[in-house]
Amino acid sequence: MLLNFLLRLIATMLHVGLTFALAPLVMGVVTTLRAWVLGRRGPPVVQPYRDLYKLLRKSTLVPETASQLFSAWPLACALSIAVAAMLVPGFCTGLLTAPLSDFVTIMGLLALARAATMLGGLETGFGFGGAGAAREALYGVFAEGALLVVLLGFGLLAHGVTVDGIAVAFDTQHIGISVSLGFALAAMLAVALTETGRIPTDNPAGHLELAMVHEAMLLEYSGRNLLLLNYAAMLRLLLWMSLIGSIFLPFGMARATDILSWPGGLVLWLVKLAAMSAVLPVFEVSSAKMRVFRVPEFLGVAMLLGMLAAIFLFVAARIGA
Amino acid sequence: MFVGLPGQGMHVHLDALSLLFLGILLPQVVAGALAGMRNSPTFWVFVLGMGLALAAADAFTLILGFELMSAASWLLVLRGDQKPATLYVGMAIFSAACLVPAVFLPAGSIAFLLIVLGAGAKAGLAPLHFWLPRAHPAPPAGVSALMSGGMVKVALYVIIRYGFVVLGPEAQPWWGGVLVAAGAASVLVGALRAMLETELKTMLACSTVEHVGLIAVGLGIALRAKAMGDATTAGLGLQAALLCAVAHGLYKPLLFIGAGEVKHSVGTTSLNWLGGLARAMPRLGLLMLAGAAGMAALPLGPGFAPEFLLWHAAIGAAGTGGIVARIGFTALLALLGLGAALAIGAAVRMFGVAFLGRPRTLQAAAAEEGERGPLIGMALLAALCVPVALLPNLLLDALSPVIRLLAPQAAQPPLAYAPLPLAGLAGLVAVGAAFILYRHGVRGSREVPAWNGGFGKPPPWLPFGDPATQPSATGFGEPIARAIGRGLLAPGGADPSEAFLLAPLARLHLRGVRVAERIRRATIRQRLAFIFTALVAFLLALGLGEGG
Repeated sequence: MLLNFLLRLIATMLHVGLTFALAPLVMGVVTTLRAWVLGRRGPPVVQPYRDLYKLLRKSTLVPETASQLFSAWPLACALSIAVAAMLVPGFCTGLLTAPLSDFVTIMGLLALARAATMLGGLETGFGFGGAGAAREALYGVFAEGALLVVLLGFGLLAHGVTVDGIAVAFDTQHIGISVSLGFALAAMLAVALTETGRIPTDNPAGHLELAMVHEAMLLEYSGRNLLLLNYAAMLRLLLWMSLIGSIFLPFGMARATDILSWPGGLVLWLVKLAAMSAVLPVFEVSSAKMRVFRVPEFLGVAMLLGMLAAIFLFVAARIGA
Repeated sequence: MFVGLPGQGMHVHLDALSLLFLGILLPQVVAGALAGMRNSPTFWVFVLGMGLALAAADAFTLILGFELMSAASWLLVLRGDQKPATLYVGMAIFSAACLVPAVFLPAGSIAFLLIVLGAGAKAGLAPLHFWLPRAHPAPPAGVSALMSGGMVKVALYVIIRYGFVVLGPEAQPWWGGVLVAAGAASVLVGALRAMLETELKTMLACSTVEHVGLIAVGLGIALRAKAMGDATTAGLGLQAALLCAVAHGLYKPLLFIGAGEVKHSVGTTSLNWLGGLARAMPRLGLLMLAGAAGMAALPLGPGFAPEFLLWHAAIGAAGTGGIVARIGFTALLALLGLGAALAIGAAVRMFGVAFLGRPRTLQAAAAEEGERGPLIGMALLAALCVPVALLPNLLLDALSPVIRLLAPQAAQPPLAYAPLPLAGLAGLVAVGAAFILYRHGVRGSREVPAWNGGFGKPPPWLPFGDPATQPSATGFGEPIARAIGRGLLAPGGADPSEAFLLAPLARLHLRGVRVAERIRRATIRQRLAFIFTALVAFLLALGLGEGG
């Protein structure tokens, strides 16, 4: 009993430490690979660490027109993403945070981070921040609806809605490859691309003000505030990769109470992250950024796919397939 | 007894349900009184009416209290603005016309439908919600707070009392479906309009429509599950609805009183004329932020636990029943997701535009901190939000007698959302981040002119920059108005129920008035001719009837 608890504690600490340490690396790998695919040499993969260190050594500027809450928003954003990242299982299931890892809680934490970033964008009252926040609000509306119907499909298949429980159920039960899961994956990928601010909905490398969404809200931030916001963005990317990995690719995940399965789980987790970091830039390079008002259609399709996934499950349950 | 029905009198009885709603009412009344309504006798009659309706043990007392509440609140609305008062009294009469027969009818579906129509109109359930965004903002802030936080709860109490207790044995699963459908429509329209309205109090009233919708969805799911014998979903739905009622009764009055202070200090509550108030009114800003967090149903705020329970209840309900109902619940989930994100957008817009940014007018720049009384009332409500936000499990334990009363067989599983451990994790990360930032980082910060995309400092005659260059509340809602509003709202952004229900009724009324006027103006000859024709027709009919 005590041993089990200790093992779970160690696994949790390992998971948290690795997640926090690897987040900039994942971003670096994606950026470098993207440059390679475009035929450029690209920055070294450790560039995000250097950028974060540089921001740590820079002084922090606060606009005169900002309120006293100016520095609270980056902190709120980073903290809620960090807590969400602690809840999503990575290399193993059965972490100490598993009972808390309800999908709805994670959605709430992501929404909290989004709201904090939007308020940060509105803080100084200048045009770009407001435009970015308004667009983020629009994307959030459709993303949340799509995610909730996708969640219904998971809940029906796994008989529970904690991410940990879904991962365990999809790993151990014989779910098979179903059309519903395919639809759910497509919907989830669309939401993930939007939430992490990647092409086709937002351009992470873009500095063309009219087209920016996420970057536009950060324009007035500098120094440690920008460090927190940038780190939160890296952590968010890793979080979504872990989330998709543990739901759709749960094979080979370790059990926290079984220390011998950890090395295999760790290696597989890294392989999954590497694979997703490789697929993402290829997808990004092969698609174009959408106009802002095409994004609701894109996410609307995701919502419909999520609903279709649930409806197929109902029909399957009805005909006993 | 000399009041009440002959031979029956009036009876008052407090059970767990009445006590819960009286408990929801109490802090709002204190806050409303502190917000400047202490000396108004009408306000106290309004409170008395609500108390009487909640404590009533027989139908007559219930109706008496309900109508006392309606009449007193009408007077209070009338004091604020005449035009919505007319609409309001019309709705009040309609709801009385539905409720009075309903409570004396034998238990059955007709009685339930009349209750939902009557009390739902009072609560602001779609499609009878159009009066609410007009009437709630009209009276002084203390009354608006009590109308939005308390009066709609009394109406919902009537629905709960009759749907679950009085008519409980006769309940059918489709009764729940009616409530869910009305609630879902309210959620969507309320949240969307809250995102688009530019007047602060109107926007808060629209958000009330949304929250009433959420409570109705929870009640509907519970009612349906109870009639179908699904103990888990019934328990979840009731927990969600009651917790939402408690939480909404705290943060919505807080926001309304705050809006009153904004009006008092700046002279307007139009979001497009505010801005930068968090600098001028720091205490009010923080209290409003607490209220906005509740309204947006963000984690670690008071509004998240009810939303969490409601989503779980909807997922549970989608797992049972016929295939059409399941598809309906799938659509409901998509809609609840849309509504939740719209509520976040509305709360961010409210706080971000009015309290952050730069002042848009000289009045907003010269705003001063609110008065003591209303601030104390708001602080009281905010303090009560803390246990709701951080200890929802304890609150659910306290609600369990009410749930046992409403659905004796309902299961009450412990809440799977635990805010305290989440706050603990956040605290751990914060300590770690603070250690790194202060150990290795550059401390302190410098105040500089905003970068603003490279534009220079604003000129001295416009110290806060040109207000036209700031994102406005209208502009913030524009993308959503374009993407969703066009499809859902009537042309011109009007409320669909106003355009498709109220306007045709008004046209019908006008036509009726014209006909009546023509009859009134008839000459003596026309009248005699009419009577003669009627007599001939009558005799003819009589003769034909006798002969045939």
